[in-house]
Amino acid sequence: MDQVLQNFISVLRESGVPVSISETLDAAHALEIVGYGDRKVLKDSLGSSLAKSAREREVFDRCFDQYFTLEMPSVETASDRCGESAQTEFPLSPLSRMLLVGDTPGLIASMFQAARRANLESLRYPTQKAFFAMRMLDTMGSGELDRDIAQLGESGSPLPLKISADLADARRSLFESIIKFIEDRFEMLSNGTYNHLIEDYLRNSRLTHIEERDLHRMHAIIQKMVKRLNDLHSRRKRTARRGMLDFKRTLRKNITYEGYLFVPAWKTKKIERPDIIVICDISRSVSRLVRFFLLFLYSLNREVARIRSFVFCSNLTEVTEYFEKYPVEAALAVIQNGAGLDILMGRTDYGRALQDFRENGMDSLTRNTTVIILGDARSNFSDPRPDILRSISQRCKRLLWMNPEVPTFWGTGDSEMYRYSPYCTLLQECNTLNHLERIIGSLLRH
Amino acid sequence: MNSALDPKFTEIDQISEGYRAAGYICNRSIATTLYLAHHLGKPVLVEGPAGVGKTDLAKTMAAYLELPLIRLQCYEGLDESKALYEWKYGKQLLYTQLLKDKLDRIIDPEENLAESMEKLHRYEDVFFSKKFLEPRPLLKALEQAEGAVLLIDEVDKADDEFEAFLLEILSDFQVSIPEIGTIQPGTHPYVFLTSNSTRELSEALKRRCLHLFIPFPDASLERDIVRTRVPGISGRLEIQLVTFIQQIRQMDVKKPPSIGETIDWARVLLLLHANDLNPDLVRETLHVILKFEEDIRIVSQNIFTMTDISVRSAGN
Repeated sequence: MDQVLQNFISVLRESGVPVSISETLDAAHALEIVGYGDRKVLKDSLGSSLAKSAREREVFDRCFDQYFTLEMPSVETASDRCGESAQTEFPLSPLSRMLLVGDTPGLIASMFQAARRANLESLRYPTQKAFFAMRMLDTMGSGELDRDIAQLGESGSPLPLKISADLADARRSLFESIIKFIEDRFEMLSNGTYNHLIEDYLRNSRLTHIEERDLHRMHAIIQKMVKRLNDLHSRRKRTARRGMLDFKRTLRKNITYEGYLFVPAWKTKKIERPDIIVICDISRSVSRLVRFFLLFLYSLNREVARIRSFVFCSNLTEVTEYFEKYPVEAALAVIQNGAGLDILMGRTDYGRALQDFRENGMDSLTRNTTVIILGDARSNFSDPRPDILRSISQRCKRLLWMNPEVPTFWGTGDSEMYRYSPYCTLLQECNTLNHLERIIGSLLRH
Repeated sequence: MNSALDPKFTEIDQISEGYRAAGYICNRSIATTLYLAHHLGKPVLVEGPAGVGKTDLAKTMAAYLELPLIRLQCYEGLDESKALYEWKYGKQLLYTQLLKDKLDRIIDPEENLAESMEKLHRYEDVFFSKKFLEPRPLLKALEQAEGAVLLIDEVDKADDEFEAFLLEILSDFQVSIPEIGTIQPGTHPYVFLTSNSTRELSEALKRRCLHLFIPFPDASLERDIVRTRVPGISGRLEIQLVTFIQQIRQMDVKKPPSIGETIDWARVLLLLHANDLNPDLVRETLHVILKFEEDIRIVSQNIFTMTDISVRSAGN
C-alpha cells in the first residue's frame, strides 16, 4: 500500500481517530479511484472513509491540513553570497554544492529522504528531537560538509575562506530548518501519545495519591468507563427483551377459540436492574475513594434501578436525598465536607454505624438488593459487631466489601477486616480506577 | 454495486449536476462521497443536524437513478420481524385449521404412524414458502431486480441490537431465512443510513459505511438552494433572508432554523409579496423559522440590528 497513506493513517491513529484495517483498505481503494490530483476531492474521499463522526472529522481535517501540507520547509541557502565559480574550482560534497548553488528543491528532497531514512515517524517524546536532528544531518551528509568547511578554511587564500564562511552560515540555517521540520512533525505525531500515557498512569495510580490538578482528567476517564459499561450492559439487556413465539402461552390463550391457534403469544423477559445500597466510610482515610466511587455509581443511573446511599463516620446517616436534589458533583461536595449532615466526624466506629443501619436501612433489604460497603474496616478498637453484618448478608442478594488498603494490611492493628470477611460475597482491594471499573462491571453482570 | 461503468457515475461533477436537475443542491464533498459510494459499493452513513436534507439526499438519489426508494424508519423496539420479514402466522394457523380435512384424506387411516409421518414430510415446506412470507423493507430492497435505493432513516433511534443485525445486510447484501435459504439480490441496492447523533453508533456499523457529515450550508450554497426551490423569489429578498437565517444560526438558540424552514420562510415571504425584509414583517413571520417561544424571544430582541445587516448585505 501507498507509504504516504499509511503514514497518514498512523498519524490519525495517534491523534485519536481509531482507524480499522477495513477502513484503511477503503481509503486505499478510494485513493485508487480519485488519485492525488485534486486536493479537495482527496480530502473528502479520505475523510468519508476514515473519519466516522463529527469529532473525528475535525481531527481528520486538522491532521490532513498538517500532513498534506503544501508548505515546504524553508531552507536558506548561500547562493546570493557566493559565486558559482567556486564549486567548479574545488571538489565539494553534494550537500555543500547544493547549499552554495541554492538548490532549494534539491535540499528539500534530500531532507524528506533523510527523514524517511531516520524513521522520523517513530518520534514520540520531546527528548528525542535532538537525536533525530543528528540522524537526519548525518544522512544528508553533514560529515562531508564539515570536512569541506575545514579544508577550505585552512587554505588561506581569500576565495576559499569566503566560501568556507558562507558554508558555515548555510550550515547553521540548515540546522535550524531541520529542527523546525522536526518540531512540526513532533506536534503532529505526539498529539495523542502523551494523553494515553497520562491516562494509563492515572488509571493505575492510587486514588488517594491523585492530585487536585488531575481531577478533571479523572472525571473524563470515569465518563469514558461509564460509557463503556453502559454500552456493554444496555446491549445485553436488550437481548433479553427480544420476543419469540411462546408456544405454551399460545395454546393457553387460544383455548377460547376452541383450540384453533389464532392469536400468537410472545415470550417476553423482564429487565432486571440491580437495586443497590451503598454504605460508605467518609473518614479521611477513605473519602477520596468514596468520592470517585459515588461519581461512578451515580453516572450509571441508566443501568441501576435504585440506589440508596448511607455515609458514616462516628455514626451513620442517609444521603440519598442529596443525590436526588443536587447534581452528582454538588451532592458529593456536600458529603465530602460533612457540613449540614447529621453526622459526627469523630473517630470511625463501624459497630455503631452497622447498628444505625440496622435501625434505618435494614427493612429495605430484599432478595434483589446488592449491598456495597466501602471502608478500611478500621474501627478504632470499638466493638465491630460482625453479627449485624451477618444478618445483613443473610437478607440481601450480595454483599460486596471494597477496601482501599492493600491486603497485607488487612487485620493489622485496629483493622477488623477478617472478622467481617466471612459474611462478604466478595471482598476486594480497591484503590485505583481500574479496580473500581472491574468491581462495578461485575456489579452489573448478574 | 452496479457496474462501475454506469454513465451516471463517471464524473463527480456529473453527480452534482444530476442532483441539481432533481432539485437538490449538493456541494462537492457530498458529490465526492456519493461517487465513492458507487465505486466502492459501500453504504453511506449521513449525519448532521435536523433538516439539512439527509433524507432528501437518498430520495434524490432514487429520482436521479430512476430506481424505487424503499424506506425503513427506525424506532426503539424495531426488530427483524418489522424490518426484514415475518411469517404470516395468522394465515399459517388458519390454513392448518382449514386444511385439517385434507390431512385426513392424505393420511390413509390404515397406515401406521411411521408411514403417515413419511407422507407428511413431503408436504412440510408448504407452510414455509414465500406465500406465507411478509417481506418488510430490507427484504423488499434486496428483491428488486433492477436495484433500489434503500433508506434506513434515523438509525440512531433503533436499538443497538438492531444495528448489529444490520451488519450482515450491509456487508454482504444478503439475508438468510432459515426455512427458505439465502436471498441474494441480482443488483446491490444503494444504501443510505441517516442519524441525528442522539446516541453514538457502534464502531462496527461505522466501519462498514462511508461517513458523510452534512453541516448547515454556507450563505452562497443556501442562496443557491432557495433559488432552486423557490423560483419566483427576487434576488434581493433571497440574499436578505439567507443572511438573516445565517445570523440566527450563529446565535445561541435551542433549535437553529433548518434549510427546510428557510425554504418555507421564502415561500411565505413570496406569498406576502415582500420585496425587502423589515422588522415588522420579520416579527410577524418569525414563527415560521423558529419553533420555540424562547428562541423567538431571543431573536426578537435583536431584530432591528439583524434586519439592518440583512438589508444592507443585499446592497441598494
